[in-house]
Amino acid sequence: MTTATPTFDAPGLADLLDTSSPEALDALDFGVIAFDAETIVQRYNATESQAAGLSPQRVLGEPLFTNVAPCMNNFMVAQRFEDAADQGVELDDTIDYVLTLRMRPVKVKLRLLAAPSGAYRYVLVQRR
Amino acid sequence: MDDGIEQLRAEHEALIQFLYLAPVGLVQAGIDGEIAMINPISAQLLMPLSPDGCLSNLFTALEGVAPDLRLQCEQYPRANGMVFEGLHLHLHADERKRAPQILSLDLLKLDARRIMAVIRDITAEVRRERQLRQSDAWLNAILTRISDYALVSLDREGRVCEWNESIARVTGFGEHIVGSPYSMFYPLDAMTPEHLHDRLREAERNGWSLDEGPRLRADGSQFWGSALIAPLPDREAFCLDDPEAPTGYEPSYCLILRDISDKRAATESRRQAAFCDHLTGLANRRAFFEAAELELDRAAHTPRPLALVIFDADLFKHINDRYGHPAGDRVLCDLADALRDSFRIVDTVARLGGEEFAVLLPSTGEEAALAGAERLRALVATRLVATDHGEIAYTVSAGIAVLDARDGEPGGIDGLIKRADQALYLAKRSGRNRAVCWTPNLPANEDTPKRSRDAG
Repeated sequence: MTTATPTFDAPGLADLLDTSSPEALDALDFGVIAFDAETIVQRYNATESQAAGLSPQRVLGEPLFTNVAPCMNNFMVAQRFEDAADQGVELDDTIDYVLTLRMRPVKVKLRLLAAPSGAYRYVLVQRR
Repeated sequence: MDDGIEQLRAEHEALIQFLYLAPVGLVQAGIDGEIAMINPISAQLLMPLSPDGCLSNLFTALEGVAPDLRLQCEQYPRANGMVFEGLHLHLHADERKRAPQILSLDLLKLDARRIMAVIRDITAEVRRERQLRQSDAWLNAILTRISDYALVSLDREGRVCEWNESIARVTGFGEHIVGSPYSMFYPLDAMTPEHLHDRLREAERNGWSLDEGPRLRADGSQFWGSALIAPLPDREAFCLDDPEAPTGYEPSYCLILRDISDKRAATESRRQAAFCDHLTGLANRRAFFEAAELELDRAAHTPRPLALVIFDADLFKHINDRYGHPAGDRVLCDLADALRDSFRIVDTVARLGGEEFAVLLPSTGEEAALAGAERLRALVATRLVATDHGEIAYTVSAGIAVLDARDGEPGGIDGLIKRADQALYLAKRSGRNRAVCWTPNLPANEDTPKRSRDAG
């Protein structure tokens, strides 16, 4: 049993996050947004909340790509999740992107995680 | 006291979320385009366009679709005001589903240092407008008081079935035209055999097909006419879908040909505003992409060659630097005149931006496209442009790409442009003032289009 904090690029991260406590998610140094098959946000950690300037209660239960992070609603991000789901395949890709956190362009790495069997889908956010 | 801060914090958060959720793109930037504030929809729309994957500069992010923004913003004469209102930006045609194709840009100059932009995806809106415009044109053709018209019945191959008085009144043609295709009413370079069938098929599909343009009388003189083709309701009785059926001259379509020379001026000026490049009067990007979409659609249905030639004025930056922008504009207008004179009515001659022009040639193979490009290149090399700084000689380079099943699908108009750009780049590299055709072994460098422009 390891207690080391997982890193942004750790392999098999989705399984680990699925079973992490809210406190463990909040302790991570990268942003975590977990959402379900209907794109409804189910988990939202402290790092992401602080970076975006939005408290979790404004975000949880909202559709991710229209009400929380519309900046990702294009073929580079949202479409990737849809395609993976349509084809029933796993998605684990890291891309360079720019988020508009508090209306400032911020360069980030996004890790997109989805598995047909997984509890949640994830967008993980790390500043670069 | 704490309550006050808490309330302020909550208001701030609500304000942030308001901006996150605004369904239009909002950007504030310096006059040089450096982005200060930007909301999520802007990132959604701009990230797929950004050539460097950054959103540090608005002009850089939009460079590929609106190369002149920086310049036009710089040259905006007033201290503040709307630099652009509802400017249509045509994105490269994208096969991906739901990808936006047309953005609208408002650009407000706040003061000497700051601008604000509003960006919207108006793809669906424009599509609806286009349909409305077509319906308008149709109603116009039907309802406008018709002074005179020729009523012509066509068989399923588009051949004239019967002669009548109205044909003679409007066009002067006699009975001998029975059995000839309706393209005889068009000047030679305004119709291809493929287009002849395209219009019949489009009439079949949409219930009607309408086009306006120059038409031909029996004595060789021209008039501005509209041609409305509609399928006849009981055409099934004439075995439309049976290839074994005798192809006599049974009427399948009705063609209404009208002389609308009087109305032409009004129609033209309306079209000019939306579809013409302001400086040269050629088709603009919007008209070009609309025409390209239609031709690709037609070629997909009934395969035929389709050629694209991209022309680029050589060392144009030097002309601008040495003689000034007004002289540069004269050169562009001269090149536009040469292009207009050299190509057919059926070809789409457009200015894509800056010193880059494109000609779309329906039903044209590589050999003919190359010959056309060469003819234009040679013509330009003999011309002198009068300016305040004396006469300027200039040259052009051309890249040619042809939609040809044997080379594999290039990937829509975007792919065809990319190929022509690669060929253009080679023309520039090999010394300019020449035309080069794309071949599969040209380097398929992603950066080529951009570099070809920079290569002067």
